[in-house]
Amino acid sequence: MAWQYSEKTKQLFMDAVHGKPGTHMGEIEDPDGLGEHGSIACGDALRFSFRVERDESDPKKDVITEARYLTFGCTSAIAASEALCALIEQGRHTPLDALKISNQDIVDYLDGLPEQKIHCSVMGAEALEAAVLDWAQKRGLDPREFGIEVHSEAEEEGRIVCTCFSLSAPYLKRKIHELGLKTIPEITNAIKAGGGCHTCHHAPGGLQDLLNEVWGTSGGQAAGEPSATGEGEKAEPLSPYQFSKKVESVMEEYIRPMLQRDGGDVEIVDIKDTLVYCSLKGACVDCVGATQTLKALVEKTLKEMVDERITVIRL
Amino acid sequence: MDTVYADNNATTQVAPEVFEAMVPFLKQDYFNPSSMYEAARGAGDAVARAREEIAGHIGAAHPKEVLFTSCATESNNTAIAGVAKANPGRRHIVTTKVEHPAVLEVAKDFKRNGYEVTFLPVDGDGNLDVRTFVRAIRPETLLVTIMHANNETGVIFPIEQLSRLTKETDPSIVFHTDATQTVSKLPIDLAGEYRHVDLLSFSGHKLHAPKGIGALFIRRGTRCRPFMIGGHQEAGRRAGTENVAFIVGLAKALALAAESHDADEARIKKMRDRLEKTLGDTIPYVQVNGKGAPRLPNTSNVSCDYIEGESMLFLMSDRGICASSGSACTSGSLEPSHVLRALNIPFTAVHGSVRFSLSRYNTDADIDRIVDVFPGIVANLRKLSPYWDNKSNAPRPDAIELARQSS
Repeated sequence: MAWQYSEKTKQLFMDAVHGKPGTHMGEIEDPDGLGEHGSIACGDALRFSFRVERDESDPKKDVITEARYLTFGCTSAIAASEALCALIEQGRHTPLDALKISNQDIVDYLDGLPEQKIHCSVMGAEALEAAVLDWAQKRGLDPREFGIEVHSEAEEEGRIVCTCFSLSAPYLKRKIHELGLKTIPEITNAIKAGGGCHTCHHAPGGLQDLLNEVWGTSGGQAAGEPSATGEGEKAEPLSPYQFSKKVESVMEEYIRPMLQRDGGDVEIVDIKDTLVYCSLKGACVDCVGATQTLKALVEKTLKEMVDERITVIRL
Repeated sequence: MDTVYADNNATTQVAPEVFEAMVPFLKQDYFNPSSMYEAARGAGDAVARAREEIAGHIGAAHPKEVLFTSCATESNNTAIAGVAKANPGRRHIVTTKVEHPAVLEVAKDFKRNGYEVTFLPVDGDGNLDVRTFVRAIRPETLLVTIMHANNETGVIFPIEQLSRLTKETDPSIVFHTDATQTVSKLPIDLAGEYRHVDLLSFSGHKLHAPKGIGALFIRRGTRCRPFMIGGHQEAGRRAGTENVAFIVGLAKALALAAESHDADEARIKKMRDRLEKTLGDTIPYVQVNGKGAPRLPNTSNVSCDYIEGESMLFLMSDRGICASSGSACTSGSLEPSHVLRALNIPFTAVHGSVRFSLSRYNTDADIDRIVDVFPGIVANLRKLSPYWDNKSNAPRPDAIELARQSS
């Protein structure tokens, strides 16, 4: 399909590429704030830097006078970077004010972006936030004082949900909330999560579960079923029959589809108390990580969704 | 500004002679070739003649071995699903990781439905390892489906050898090849070196016939059930009224290609080689993907490190040049090309890939324009790249390591 960019997007991109005066390509030496987002592996990356006019009495009154970017990415990624810098410079913003510039402001400045390119504007907003945090650090300010959350540590430690783009559960939940994302395609368009192998869409603790968690819904297909998050409450103990049925249903709905995607499969051979005997099939048989798979995927999922005491035994 | 069309692996312009040959069957000879009355004889004869000619071009022993479809995707679906339907006892398929989605996605669908599928890997140049291929064949193997040449890199697989090995292992295994990129470009003799190939797919619009016409060669005796079910057309093997005008167009296009094949090929290869040489000489950190493998003479897939393909395409488009890229941003999903990733080349090279594909309608002036415009586009985008150091006009030291990380 041909490009569906707005005239503004195309113009900003062309101006940037041809280094027209007034564009913001480049990097500030010894910047007051420097932030990066994205990576070469993901297909786009942005390095954003700004300089401030310092207010000697109160760092919070520093004013951003210059903003620059270097971007590896598509037409809209470069145009969005240009838009970000223009928005910041035109307002004589303090760094804290600049944080109020959202990805939606960037989209508006560009007269809209195609849906699947929304993530380009989010990248701009993310890099800006990183740069402001950098500035705050350099100026000896604690960003939490003025209500800015510092996410980076939590994000690094969080469970990775989207392995293709290395995005963690805490980060995803925050973004789902901040950007008002209601569906998996919306998440993918905005922050790319789930846009690669799609494995995380309906996996336990995956994107659908995160959506349910953030918006407090139970999701269409699993209505009435106890979700993975319900483990906090003490449920009635299951009878052996119920237990086996539940193991089997989790196996069918979650585990086998995941393994089958990679050419493998798993079969339950027997269940004795909380010992689940499994035989791996298909590609899993020859896989050097097969035992690892059983522990990390099969056992972990069964523990989370059925019973903490489950042990998986490979035949 | 004239358009420089260098995306002929995506589609080609319809040859004027092909168009002319088709017109009568859109005007006065509009009849249904299956109809009994005298007036429909022209349409019926035209289809029969086209079938004979096309069979001749690919070395098929009997015209009836050529089935007309709507496109190569339909041919591929018919081949795979038809063979599976006819041989329910076998449930293993061998294919490669670099197939066109019209095969790859079908194979994945079979896998979801309980079939076992081996997706063979390729090396850094895009070559298959024949030993790995042989080991992949099993007693329960139903079908081998391997493309003749890759649409993205132009890398050619040794179909003669692979089909022979398949049949020598077990004659009951059906061998299919998607030859969409090679029919009219490479000599294919289904009675000679390619005699072990049971099924072969191709389409018209890659060889200067229009979109909407495809063909599937089915060797006599091959166990294959129909995919499109309905009327008795195509001897009951593919239902649906024959697309007479387009069938005539396909035959004409193949005739034209055969007429000037050798001269065209030499000229196209010369243009392609000059393009690659000049880009290599004028752009630092550029590589040709699949360079070490046998390749189609019309295809050049180049990767420029540290910049992204979609923005290159956009700037080329602005200068009237049409090409394509394996970059994630052009894929419609967020995934970069599965073909280039299968070559295990670095991320940056995948994202920075551009494919030029030529046809006999390209001229030296087209190549002049590309080599004139493209290096400037690369330089401009690198100025913007966080991985490029403008002072030294080289990658940043920390980016070199990044660029080596393979996908």
